[in-house]
Amino acid sequence: MVRSGLTAAGLLAPASAVVAVGLVLPLVLLFRYSLNRFVPGQFMVEALTAENYVRFAADPYYLAILRTTILMAVGVTLVCLVLAFPVAMVLARARGRWKTVLLLAVVLPLFVGNAVRAAGWMVAFGQRGVVGSLMEAAQLPPVTLMYTPFAVFVGILSVNLPFVVLTLSSVLEGIDERASEAALSLGATPAAAWRLVTLPLSLPGVLAAGVLCFILTMNAYATPVLLGGPRFRMMAPTVAGEVLQQSNWPFGAAISFVLMAVTLALTAGANILVARRHRG
Amino acid sequence: MTAVRLDRLTKLYGATAAVDDVTLEAREGELLVLLGPSGCGKTTTLRLVAGFVEATSGTIRLGGRDVTREPPYRRSIGLVFQNYALFPHLTVFENVAFGLRRRRVAEAEIGARVRRALGLVRLDGFEGRLPRQLSGGQQQRVAIARAVVIEPDVLLLDEPLSNLDAKLRHDVRLELRRLQKALSITAIMVTHDQDEAMAVGDRLAVMGSGRIQQVGTPAELYRSPANRFVASFVGRANFLDASPAPGGFVLASGLALASEHASASAGTVMIRPEAVEVAAEPRPGPNQFPATVDAAAFLGASWDLELALDGGERLMATVPAARAGTEDWSSGRRVFVRVDPAAAVGIPGSERPATPAHHEETPR
Repeated sequence: MVRSGLTAAGLLAPASAVVAVGLVLPLVLLFRYSLNRFVPGQFMVEALTAENYVRFAADPYYLAILRTTILMAVGVTLVCLVLAFPVAMVLARARGRWKTVLLLAVVLPLFVGNAVRAAGWMVAFGQRGVVGSLMEAAQLPPVTLMYTPFAVFVGILSVNLPFVVLTLSSVLEGIDERASEAALSLGATPAAAWRLVTLPLSLPGVLAAGVLCFILTMNAYATPVLLGGPRFRMMAPTVAGEVLQQSNWPFGAAISFVLMAVTLALTAGANILVARRHRG
Repeated sequence: MTAVRLDRLTKLYGATAAVDDVTLEAREGELLVLLGPSGCGKTTTLRLVAGFVEATSGTIRLGGRDVTREPPYRRSIGLVFQNYALFPHLTVFENVAFGLRRRRVAEAEIGARVRRALGLVRLDGFEGRLPRQLSGGQQQRVAIARAVVIEPDVLLLDEPLSNLDAKLRHDVRLELRRLQKALSITAIMVTHDQDEAMAVGDRLAVMGSGRIQQVGTPAELYRSPANRFVASFVGRANFLDASPAPGGFVLASGLALASEHASASAGTVMIRPEAVEVAAEPRPGPNQFPATVDAAAFLGASWDLELALDGGERLMATVPAARAGTEDWSSGRRVFVRVDPAAAVGIPGSERPATPAHHEETPR
């Protein structure tokens, strides 16, 4: 027992050290910074004040950024789940070589970084871009796509979709196909069998995939910056702006913690909601 | 009560026939067992009847109704799976009520019918449990209740007992049999277990290589198998190469064997092990051969003997322990074997299931 305990500790140690040094320590530091005072010209002054948090909560400009971010995250998550579910079902039921091909097709976009993919969308959405040219050819009135919330929405959607598909399909694979066959034999139409059997059984997977997508969107950086343009603001770019451009570390740290707290609170809320429904 | 008729039913996967020209009837109120080794097409046949697999050609009729192109949910079938396939997120009550709700049965009637179905499988009082809170045997009984509560035209059972341990399997199969007769529901059951098949089936259809090899009552199949495949699948049997001769056969070694079932086309004689009598001294009568005991195993109620006839043929024999008395059937002992001419059955020479099985069982 003691030996296996030691072995387990030994196996866990490297990862734990990385997490401690790379995540916990910076977080503690950042939280400490968020309580400091920013004096222009002096960078950061040691203090124990909540003024950064108060500033965020009192300024409609920043609250609007938070609201935009939450709306974007909820919207992207819902659309992602709807789009990913059928793909995940096909992937979960595929067998053999066909499955490998499908899996590769889903994973392939992940080989291209976020920023590169955003650049691709810029080509598509730009003034003389692919979408614009197509609409012109169809003699439709021109619409502005670039630097709109819609462009950001589509961009983040495309980034997150593979993660959601993979998470969902791994859970769907664990659901016994015979259960939906049983439903069909008892007179349920395929739609009813899906609604009454497959969907309830996949709820844990929907939750996991939804949470993943939500967190990724809440913290999205490259896509909002590149596709949203200078006037569209979300939380992560705002943090970067405060830290990099204003050199206001305390306020940037405070925004980070607001973002983290809101993300955690909403995720926990969704968990509780689904857990309650799951129990019936 | 509804009869199920399969007419020239064929299912091809690529060029391989999983089900090959099967014509079969489950009569009203009968329990028909599809028996065969894995990959013989029995599960595919069942899934064709259920509607999960689309027939390449042929027809499926429930009663007079052609359901070949109907989806499963319009077929009125009750289905019991090997792994139970209960809905894990629903209570026992809701599992059983599922089919009734799909049929929009009134709430009051649902309650009464669910309770009656659970009573039939002796699970009164389990309404509020979740499937994971039940034992395997209880789960299978819920699955049976769920299938019969909708009063389906036909009950389909896919290896329903295979996941249960031996003792439980025996109990559940008796219960299944009792229930099927009490409800007088037409049923088709798939199994690879010949004991199970003989215990519950009114008639058995032995399948091999996608084809029906023979259909008949357990006794018919046991006593007069159509071919060697059926004979070896239903019970144990000795097969001796032989050629027809007046009043019987001549074995490969030259021994003459009298038989009441001689036929000109037979190339093999089948003798069941329990039809081989073994004695220390020769007795009057036909088919008396000296032999040597090669191996002997005492099984309590009987002895299992392996014998070598002096001509060279080998025979398995099952000798009741009571008749054997205190006899010592140790190996090496010289004995006399006698075969009742009524028990020596000629079957066509080397007939095997028509084509070798290349295909897999239906993908799961």
